[in-house]
Amino acid sequence: MRGLLVELTRLRWRRAVLLLLVAVVVLPALLLATTAWNTRPMSDAEIDSLLSERYAQREVARCERRPEQYVDYSGEAVEPEGCREMIAGWYGGRQTLRPAQELDGTVLAASTLVLALVLLLGTTFVGHDWNTGSMSNQLLFEPRRGRVWATKAVAVTLTCLLLATAVLSAYWWGVTTLASVRDVAVADGVVGDGYEQALRTGVLAGATALGGYALTMLFRSTVATVGVLFGLAVANGALLGIVGQTTQRWTPPLNVMAVMQGQVTYYDESAIAPECRFGTAGPADDCDPERTLTAGDGGLYLGSALLLACGASVVSFRRRDVP
Amino acid sequence: MSTLSGPVVETTGLRKEYPTRRGTRVAVAGLDLAVEAGGVHGFLGPNGSGKTTTIRMLLGLARATSGTMRLFGEPVPERLPQVVGRVGAVVESPKFSPNISGRRNLLLLSRSIGAPDTRVDAAIETVGLTGRDGDRYKTYSLGMKQRLAIAATLLKDPALLILDEPTNGLDPAGIREVRDTIRALGEADTTVLLSSHILAEVQQVCTAATIIGHGKVLASGRVDQLLGAATSHRVRCTDAAAAAGVLRTAGLTVHLEDDADHAHGAVLAVETDDPAAITRLLAARDIWVSELIPSRQDLESYFLSLTADADDEEAGR
Repeated sequence: MRGLLVELTRLRWRRAVLLLLVAVVVLPALLLATTAWNTRPMSDAEIDSLLSERYAQREVARCERRPEQYVDYSGEAVEPEGCREMIAGWYGGRQTLRPAQELDGTVLAASTLVLALVLLLGTTFVGHDWNTGSMSNQLLFEPRRGRVWATKAVAVTLTCLLLATAVLSAYWWGVTTLASVRDVAVADGVVGDGYEQALRTGVLAGATALGGYALTMLFRSTVATVGVLFGLAVANGALLGIVGQTTQRWTPPLNVMAVMQGQVTYYDESAIAPECRFGTAGPADDCDPERTLTAGDGGLYLGSALLLACGASVVSFRRRDVP
Repeated sequence: MSTLSGPVVETTGLRKEYPTRRGTRVAVAGLDLAVEAGGVHGFLGPNGSGKTTTIRMLLGLARATSGTMRLFGEPVPERLPQVVGRVGAVVESPKFSPNISGRRNLLLLSRSIGAPDTRVDAAIETVGLTGRDGDRYKTYSLGMKQRLAIAATLLKDPALLILDEPTNGLDPAGIREVRDTIRALGEADTTVLLSSHILAEVQQVCTAATIIGHGKVLASGRVDQLLGAATSHRVRCTDAAAAAGVLRTAGLTVHLEDDADHAHGAVLAVETDDPAAITRLLAARDIWVSELIPSRQDLESYFLSLTADADDEEAGR
């Protein structure tokens, strides 16, 4: 416990880490503010201005006359009184804030931003120790390397998990509160889905920070870690091709998305029978290339990679000489 | 004083190899080191002789290829956690986080061992950093960084202090301060292992020394024993030629030295550790000695002769 408090203090006193922690809070807040601004309700004057063209006016008249021919963003039939605002949106007007849409939009963007920042935080936190040589100084006071590794890991993981969960939950609370203030109807279960997504992403953020930390303990440099991750991202497709996998299933971004969103669909042409491509498939053949990747599947994949990175990192840290 | 009866630091057959493209490079080659409790023990050797590597292995920062090490009688690195609280160390250059203050750097270290924050204040005062302790570490001069590193070692109230080139980069006043501190620690309860390649430093500060070269011990013992008793005496007398004959007849090795001050007689260099024999032999022949000066070998010449022999031996392989 004493070691954990020391590491949390070290984390707090490190300027670069502090800047990243502030960025984890401020950037999503800015994104929320931008979203609020970009979706502010249009005034009647703005709508009139947008619908001033003849084609637009005709479209509104047609919608109001036969609303059953029009559907809104969610595929639902539109009410006649909603026609003007909807068609103004088609002609360059601002979109209405829709929390369900935001889950796949700015919430996802904020989540991705937070993940990138905590990855940097995990690497920077300990990269600084290696860069300055203070790691050896710390080991002169606590030579049990396994304990040192674990204490730092817990500090960085807990910090990022709790902070990311809090920030993303606050973001979602902001979106739903804004929708409520603007009298935008939110479908049943959407609010709960958003908080679940925030929780899953928070856990993922903790794991991401841990992964960044583990890799930096392995490579002993923030630059090396970021370089390796960038290289892997670029060479990912080629690497999968070499091991004979052309499906998206094994790409890290898809698995990350699956964990964040609960599940994602993807297309896997390699999974369907060859007959499907030539139109000779029988009724028993599965010719649908659409597949679903669940959060559990994604978590298992990412968790295995994390376990591998942590294992290599611990072994390396315990065995190698410290400069 | 330490209650340990054996050496505070002990290595046996300690060896460290580094893999290189051409095979392996031996940094430490079967080092047998023993540092007794109390006093300041010099660990002397030229650059690249294996001093720092040995210290790093003792402190668990590097793994030994083979051999055994003990601190306070406990095998390390296995039982290093049990003894590390009694060992303060500065290895190579001071290493702290540059963007936080010296005080905060020390606080992180002291809290990691559960020491009270007041010990940080005491350590800062001991090394004379009061007033600058709140400044960022990166703004410190090299001397201040060294002093902060020494302050870090004092956080544990150590029974053994391992200092690797502690006066590097210090100005003359700083060097004197650090040497006085080391000497004072050695005279008190702390055993100090002082690694240095500055011969005068070891000669001035240390009570005992181990000299290494090419990763092996070349000599070890008390400093005065290493230098030996006076093995040569300079003798000034009125009739140097006659005196030389008398002493040679008695079996002594004598060299006639050229001395500009002929008004007071010529000078002989006589190899013996018994100066009384010289005066007795010459007086018996009515040759009167006007000056008799013991000539003691200094550490520098001793060190150079040892390391030169080691270099020759290494080159011969």
